[in-house]
Amino acid sequence: MRGIIAFLVAASPLLVGQTQLSAEARAQELDRVAKAATAMVDGDVCLHIQTKRSIEFLQKKDPRDPWIASDNFDVDHPAFIQTKKTLMRLARLCPEACDANLWMPLEGNPEPVQVLIRNVYEMSSFWNWGNLHQPMPDEMKRVLTTGERVTFRGKRGMISVLAPVYDSLGNIVALVEVVSQERRDLQENVK
Amino acid sequence: MLFLSRLAITLMAALGCSAGDLLTLPEHFRPDPFGGIVEADRSPGAAPARTIVMEGARASFVSCHLLAIMTQPGDYSLDVGSFPAASGLQVDLYREWFHYLPATKNYYPDALVPIAAQYRSKLPDPDNRVANQTAQAFWLDVWIPSGTAPGTYRLKAALNADGKLSTVPIEVKVLAALVPAEDAVAMDHNTYGTSWLVTDYPSLSKPAGDAFFASDRYFELIQAYHKVLYENRGVFHQLGYGHGGKVGPEFAPRLEGTGKSRHVADWSMYDRHFGPLFDGTAFAKTHLGPRPTKLVYLPINPEWPASFLWWGEPGYEKEFLNVVGEMERHFREKGWTNTRFEMFFNHKKRYKAFPWDGDEARFPNDTAYMLEYKRLLQLAVPPDSPVKFVFRTDSSWTLDRQAKDLAGVVNFWVCGQGELAYQPEVARALKERGDTVWTYGASPLVTEPASHIALQALRPWIWGIDGFVHWMATDAGPDPWFNFAGGAEALVYSGDRFGVGAPIPSVRLKLQRNAVQDIALLNEFRKTHPVEQLRAEAARRFNGTELKDWWSPRPAYADKDPLDRTNADEGVPEGPKFHEALDAGAWQRVRTYVFDLAREVK
Repeated sequence: MRGIIAFLVAASPLLVGQTQLSAEARAQELDRVAKAATAMVDGDVCLHIQTKRSIEFLQKKDPRDPWIASDNFDVDHPAFIQTKKTLMRLARLCPEACDANLWMPLEGNPEPVQVLIRNVYEMSSFWNWGNLHQPMPDEMKRVLTTGERVTFRGKRGMISVLAPVYDSLGNIVALVEVVSQERRDLQENVK
Repeated sequence: MLFLSRLAITLMAALGCSAGDLLTLPEHFRPDPFGGIVEADRSPGAAPARTIVMEGARASFVSCHLLAIMTQPGDYSLDVGSFPAASGLQVDLYREWFHYLPATKNYYPDALVPIAAQYRSKLPDPDNRVANQTAQAFWLDVWIPSGTAPGTYRLKAALNADGKLSTVPIEVKVLAALVPAEDAVAMDHNTYGTSWLVTDYPSLSKPAGDAFFASDRYFELIQAYHKVLYENRGVFHQLGYGHGGKVGPEFAPRLEGTGKSRHVADWSMYDRHFGPLFDGTAFAKTHLGPRPTKLVYLPINPEWPASFLWWGEPGYEKEFLNVVGEMERHFREKGWTNTRFEMFFNHKKRYKAFPWDGDEARFPNDTAYMLEYKRLLQLAVPPDSPVKFVFRTDSSWTLDRQAKDLAGVVNFWVCGQGELAYQPEVARALKERGDTVWTYGASPLVTEPASHIALQALRPWIWGIDGFVHWMATDAGPDPWFNFAGGAEALVYSGDRFGVGAPIPSVRLKLQRNAVQDIALLNEFRKTHPVEQLRAEAARRFNGTELKDWWSPRPAYADKDPLDRTNADEGVPEGPKFHEALDAGAWQRVRTYVFDLAREVK
């Protein structure tokens, strides 16, 4: 594992150089990284990212406190950091700027999904800015139920490849969105 | 309410107003488009007048409204003369925009469109489109330079409508007192990123296309925001990174390399953006004169300049020290030693990019990150550096705990006003150890009385702290002109629709500025008077309160574990003297006190 990571990081200065890829070629590159994500991201660790207390608050509603869920959002720091670092390393495999985001269904409720880890370019074909959780897109449902990788062409020239994340029991517990954009908006989400 | 305004016109006609009449109002009585005073500012006896006398100290502004009133639609011209050249007094004239508020179904003036001293238009104003408009309001600013000889100066303003001339004499009494250049309270105006400039300035952004964000006009526009707020005795903060650590290319030097080879590759965008602000040249053509901007956010965040990939490993420290060390050297070599550079973490874990809250921290295990960044900053910046790096945090839920845990770590506190209100001992402790202390909140709506904006400047001074942040000062909403929500998040507006490729000020900003300069002058008298006496008298005049009334009792929720608290927890509300009972003229009573003191100055 450590050897692979060392290779990825050492190769990254070459890999992150900006190139002009066709949409098809970009999708293929993202798929390659997404495939690696399934191998590299530890689903058991992902299950420990959000704290139990935070999960309890996640779907609470209080008409007098619209921020009750977000103010109580919290994570287990080691699990978050370990997974985020893996995602960051994966993103370095992309030949152009890309993000690898972690998405997970809500515990005990398969309908909504939440992005649980985002990364530096703040790209996603699915995330509605600021949402703690949101309705599950069909593409994500497909990944979580079939284990297939799914390519999705999103808004503003984004292409995402979704890949399953497994725990040690072989359950699909999360998915990774590897995403890049045809023309990055350098000012977007600087807020 | 519309009925009352119309009644005002009828009464003025009965009192002898002709088809075109020029009248005046003091700054705190904001006009409506029908010749009356807006509902929030009305008080017994207040009415437009045929003359006005303003009093001011040197190195300050005095202001009033002019009203061009016409009972019949038609063309008019307004000519505001000039003061004797030897006086040095300078006039700036603005057309007041009447914003329509669907919530209250009425109009309030706020945006100020700069115009020449000779101005021609018609009523109803074809741009503002107020049905049956009979009055156009103008904001008159008079700048009194520091070198003006004390005395009385006069000019005349004239309205020509339908061939008939109406004039008003305007008198400015200049006191010998001098408003100091340094403010006693900093009024800060915050915003985030720059993507909104594209939609706010289509006349600039559309022709430039993709090149907009690298164009000279773009950097001039950013600097224009700093300039309009500086000119009005304010500070502008523009955060340059997102919650995931994405840094706008104009907010940070471009970096190259990784680990030990991480370094600054290119300063050009950063210097182009900030150079004129840090050396003060951006403010050269202002009444207040060129001075370096006081404060600026650094782009430092958990992902910049060190990659979070290396967090907890030697590479993180190396990348941080390399780049922040280079920043210190660059700033020192450029002579940028009068600005305070803020290391400030705005991210929140709810946005899912980092595991800890930098802003409004709530969870105890987030504190360790702040301690680590302090350690890194200390390593990166030589102890004898003339460059002023500060560590800022914005604190609410856990203010008392953070004030203790981060003593000697954070030295710039921006506190939730409601939290600090019941913790005077925290304010005192922070000040006693030399920290800078501000509070933050929203701006008063235009529908609140004119004095409410002054309260936000007076409160920090009464509390003995240093400033207030309007947490968002540039977001006037999707249609501020005809469908306005009231301006809780805007004190400046885009000038784009008026052909001004820069932000334009507001009536509230000007009222705030005039209060800030009064406080600066009042604060000078602590050299000759006990400051508590000055504060007590200002409070008494402002809203009939005692100093103790400005602090709140400790609410029950304050004794809960911060994690058990919610936004639904009820604090102890301030009394009506700070809200509905606070009249538009409250600040004028403080000003009278300040000028009574100032008249003692020879």
